Amino acid sequence: MPDRPIDDAELKSLALSGDAAFWGHLAARSRQAATFSELFFLSTLRKKAKLHASESVRPKLRLALIGGYNLYPLHELVEHLLAIRGFECERFLGDYDNFVSEILDGSSPLYAFKPDLAFILPNANHCRFSGSLLDAVEQQREAAIGAADHLLNLARTFVARSGASVILANLALPGDLDLGSFRSRTLGADWSFRKAVNFELGLRAPAEVQICDVEFLSARRGITAAQDARAWYESKQLGSPDFLVDVAQELSHLIAARKQGPKKVLALDLDHTLWGGVIAEDGVEGIELGDSSPRGEAFKAFQKYLLGLSQRGVLLAVCSKNDHARAIELFEKHPEMVLRLEHFAAFKANWDPKSDNLQRIADELRLGLDSFVFADDNPAEIEIVRQFQPQVEGVLLGPDPAEFIGRLQAGRHFEPRNVTEEDLERTAQYRQERRRTEFAASITDMPAYLASLKMRGTIKEFDPLDVPRISQLIARSNQFNLTTVRRPETDIQGLLKRPGYSCFTMRLEDRFGDSGLISVVIAKVEGDVFVLDTWLMSCRVLKRQVEDEIMNEIFRLANAASCTKVRGIYLPTPKNGIVAGIYEEFGFVRTVDFTARKEFELEVEKYQMRSTKIHITRRAYEAS
Amino acid sequence: MKQAEVLAKLQEVFDGIFLQKVAAKPELSAADVEEWDSLMQISLVIAIEQKFRVRFRLGEVEAARNLGEFADLIAKRMES
Repeated sequence: MPDRPIDDAELKSLALSGDAAFWGHLAARSRQAATFSELFFLSTLRKKAKLHASESVRPKLRLALIGGYNLYPLHELVEHLLAIRGFECERFLGDYDNFVSEILDGSSPLYAFKPDLAFILPNANHCRFSGSLLDAVEQQREAAIGAADHLLNLARTFVARSGASVILANLALPGDLDLGSFRSRTLGADWSFRKAVNFELGLRAPAEVQICDVEFLSARRGITAAQDARAWYESKQLGSPDFLVDVAQELSHLIAARKQGPKKVLALDLDHTLWGGVIAEDGVEGIELGDSSPRGEAFKAFQKYLLGLSQRGVLLAVCSKNDHARAIELFEKHPEMVLRLEHFAAFKANWDPKSDNLQRIADELRLGLDSFVFADDNPAEIEIVRQFQPQVEGVLLGPDPAEFIGRLQAGRHFEPRNVTEEDLERTAQYRQERRRTEFAASITDMPAYLASLKMRGTIKEFDPLDVPRISQLIARSNQFNLTTVRRPETDIQGLLKRPGYSCFTMRLEDRFGDSGLISVVIAKVEGDVFVLDTWLMSCRVLKRQVEDEIMNEIFRLANAASCTKVRGIYLPTPKNGIVAGIYEEFGFVRTVDFTARKEFELEVEKYQMRSTKIHITRRAYEAS
Repeated sequence: MKQAEVLAKLQEVFDGIFLQKVAAKPELSAADVEEWDSLMQISLVIAIEQKFRVRFRLGEVEAARNLGEFADLIAKRMES
């Protein structure tokens, strides 16, 4: 993020002069834009400046917008907000209020467009309870479920027919004063009925249907500012021009978040960030933290929020210029501290530059810096990190602790689409990993160390219960990932019982704890060749012989499928260099050698099963 | 406010919104300006309502055939 917001005139002159600095400023201003006028100005500038810029070669996103409102000019705003995030689109606009037939008619232009993703924006005013206000609540609730199912079925039909992804908007609530306080005593009023439909939409939506919470967006802006009767009568708009910006911001965020890897680590400063004051000057007793002052209360609330993030699977790390011993002392002794040492996956308090410490934390956790967010109250620190570690997202918390939570949330870095068991266990797992590393340091002999871990592995064919975790690993793994093929959850569902495929996962536990599901293999039987389409592994379990056990299992399954050889594929990316040579290490021979694609083969009969220190308690396609 | 005064203030709005120079003359219409599409129309109406502190009624803006008529409409809404 550029260090200061730039004004309209400066931005305009950068755009018109073809200055490259324009794009960074444009992106920063656009992400924060909350009014139609501002976003329109920025979008116009982008189009002008694009005339100077070279056409991007990235594949375009094929985006269909359909619904019960006029989707013009919403699409322009979405297109702009996606462009500043690096996604150019090819778009399809449905006819006004024609989305039901566009979805149901398999020969409609919607399908001919071959979308990658569709946004469905149903008209809230069409969603009414048709019975009487006096009908039994159960009957009204049934009608709400029916209305929700109708929309969800349309979304499902679209996904099944197109193979594309879908984002379905829920309904804005009406700000009418009609019915007065009685509206909350029935589900038959427009207000309460739509609220009920929205609840059912969210709770009943299958994993492949993502909900865009328009109700929330309208509440956040304020219903009276979001709705606009004139805009509806004049041109069938969803709401006021500014509200279109809210929906466009949300939609482009959801779309971009699907394509980008999630953030995994939140690195935090200490002084003026987790508490008020400076340990070195104020001492453990002198800092502001806790319920005795308004500021202390705000810092404590911020810590509680961070604890919640950590419980949801975000790894917290300390990255602070401080005396290590005094920082530790505060965490151990201050009675109002919500966050304790055990909540941090890494702890760097020293006088080195924070950019160096971030690198050390990344190495320790074996995670890429592009999965890091760094929060600090000091703009200078944010700026230094931006210069030296540009992959790290900086969040400037600013001078007022009352704003910290809001500022951190505004970056929208830690919004899960799904929460899995592993998320809830993640910090504990990294803590175990630290204990393992300390333990390893005390033993010099690697085989003895591995034996002492008492590892147990469970290998299993794809199980419906594992689908969310498999899908998460497929979306998140970058380093130990041979092909980096990303697959939506629907594809994984489809692989469960698919003939001609062997798909399995491996879990690992040891004396320090359960690492959970840590590796995924998807293989396709092509004649007598066992082709490894996907092989990925969590880097937490590197050098623990998991690779050996996986390879043993691959050859066992290849043999069982009567294949004579196994073919491994490696698609190089900037991040997966650690596995470039893995097939050759197992004795495979390189058969295809392009820059962008390598293939390797090994005859089944030539493979030597490797012996490991992992006790395998179950194998794929075998009863446990 | 007279039409000429309204047009002078409209010129300020235009200078802030259009990237190219567009002269606020009574005979001007959207078709004369390349940038003036329906997205620009929405933006202009918002900017003009803010600048003159008026709110147009349903259908009024659409009925104005050129900038002169639009200026008259603004003047009328400023009075009532």
